[in-house]
Amino acid sequence: MSDAYTTARARLARRKAAAPWILMLPALIIVLIFFGLPTAYMARMSFNLHEGAKLYTPGFTFDHYINLFSNEVFTTAIWTTVKLSLMASVVTVIIGYAFALLVWLKPARWRLLFVGLALCPLLISEIAIIFGWWMFFPKNGLLSFALMSSGLITDKISLMYTEFAAFVGLVYVTLPFCFFILLSILDGMDKRMLEAGADLGASPLVTFREVLLPLTRTGLLVAFSQSFIWTMGTYATPSALGPDTLWTMGFLIQEQMLGRSNWPLASALSMVLVVGVAVVITFTRSLSAKRTTLHV
Amino acid sequence: MTTPALHLDRVRRVYGPVVAVDDVSLSVAKGEFVTLLGPSGSGKTSTLRLVGGFDQLDGGSIAINGERIDHLPAYQRDTATIFQSGALFPHKTVAENVAFGLRMRKVGTSEIADRVRQYLDIVRLGGFADRYPAQLSGGQKQRVALARSLAVRPAILLFDEPLSALDLSLRLQLRAEIKSLHDQLKFSAIYVTHDQGEAMAMSSRVAVMRNGAIEQIDTPTRIFHDPASEFVYTFIGESCCLRVNNAAQSLDLTLETPLLGEARLYVRPSRLRLGPDAASLPNRLKARVKFVEFLGDTNRYHLQAGDADLFADHAGEMSLAPGATVDLGWLTADMRVFR
Repeated sequence: MSDAYTTARARLARRKAAAPWILMLPALIIVLIFFGLPTAYMARMSFNLHEGAKLYTPGFTFDHYINLFSNEVFTTAIWTTVKLSLMASVVTVIIGYAFALLVWLKPARWRLLFVGLALCPLLISEIAIIFGWWMFFPKNGLLSFALMSSGLITDKISLMYTEFAAFVGLVYVTLPFCFFILLSILDGMDKRMLEAGADLGASPLVTFREVLLPLTRTGLLVAFSQSFIWTMGTYATPSALGPDTLWTMGFLIQEQMLGRSNWPLASALSMVLVVGVAVVITFTRSLSAKRTTLHV
Repeated sequence: MTTPALHLDRVRRVYGPVVAVDDVSLSVAKGEFVTLLGPSGSGKTSTLRLVGGFDQLDGGSIAINGERIDHLPAYQRDTATIFQSGALFPHKTVAENVAFGLRMRKVGTSEIADRVRQYLDIVRLGGFADRYPAQLSGGQKQRVALARSLAVRPAILLFDEPLSALDLSLRLQLRAEIKSLHDQLKFSAIYVTHDQGEAMAMSSRVAVMRNGAIEQIDTPTRIFHDPASEFVYTFIGESCCLRVNNAAQSLDLTLETPLLGEARLYVRPSRLRLGPDAASLPNRLKARVKFVEFLGDTNRYHLQAGDADLFADHAGEMSLAPGATVDLGWLTADMRVFR
């Protein structure tokens, strides 16, 4: 009897230990098949040889990585991409934060309107949005027309195919994600805390610095890394809006892959991108790791 | 007459078609504890928020210690609010929360440390200085909120239903603590609540509010024993209502007698006598027992007399089964008739 009891207890304990894994299994399988395998395949590909016109020749070499970090075309592209992504992410987070704060602080009846507005860009494909920008930035576009008719400029201007256009395009694409992340963080907070700050004698600016900012720091970091991942990987928007000389990593990957049929080098570039993003996420995670469960 | 700690003069706040605060005038003397009591939507919280500076006046004026403050933003007013949710800063420790208002008032560092210790001791949370709000119970959080507001020694403390999120036993305990703190520290306060028990137990004076206006303002005893209106009478405690003739000053009714008329006669259930006790009383009624609730110290008899539903609290043992007929009586002094 006691033997049966012990074995039953042991079985129960084993099941309990296995439960999280069993529950995680379906998601784990999906992640491994659809993300793990391709990444592993890509990693392997980046070490293959590239000879002649063939896409790749099986083998093992570090050449592509050496090439990446010694060839100025690639180092410049990496630097350009990182710079553009950082700037776009910072600006996205600032605009998204202001917008989310506005929606959070406004009476609830405005909320639907603002949330609807923020959803719009997500309902339109990136390509359609690019076409929209093509009507906005050129010499005879909306922007030029608006500036002319408001008397701010006297000659028509074109911002099409400038780094600025690429930058604006990137911000626009990532803004909704940033906005919703930050709004969800703000929604978890007690608005009375701002009143409590004012009540105890803190000016709005001090309340922002002492109360709002520390409490939304985690959200800001998450929003930032989200934007950064997005802008690092986005290929169509900067290519379509930026100048021909704006070579981002996304652009080079597609060029190596489709234009030069150099799969190993494209893979090596992609690996750099993946590792770079992973580093940034780990870094921002480590900044926000302290006491993440403040909202109780 | 000395300057009141807080003086509201015909304060008005309108939201679209709704008059939330309708020409409220009110004075809180130094050291006085005034409660704004009323059902939800009566304007009590709106009034408090106007004093705290979280909302703008549409008319009238507010003065603290004789100086007008209604043009000042919240952070320049010498008030401190205890919010219903506590509104503690979750990223700051208990001590940092209490120190916040002092830092904003540019109090010296050593003085801050002293005062934080002093006020945490006062609310009996001396050992909790380094905890975070998430590590505290609901009652402890409200005590921290209280200490945080007390520590800045404001001209007036504003309590915005601070106990309504807590469970009953904790509510009773904390209200006794707030009362004893008031006796000890003599702070001036406005306390907003919809719980008449809290209002009665804690206040120097109670202002009963309805539809944005003060219906009656007086000491708890006078409010209870001499309510100015039917609304105050019914809001301040439980009551039974009978419809009677305008002329009725005493009743001697039987179950069959229809209770007609426009006037409304009220008696508190604790003042209704049952059975033999009722025989000698001037106002009598025959009623049928519907059911009995056991309330611990007393039994509550739910009764029907004609069209009227009544309930009476009776301490002693009475073998009254549902359906039984019983005599009911009360003193004329215990009833109120509103016409």
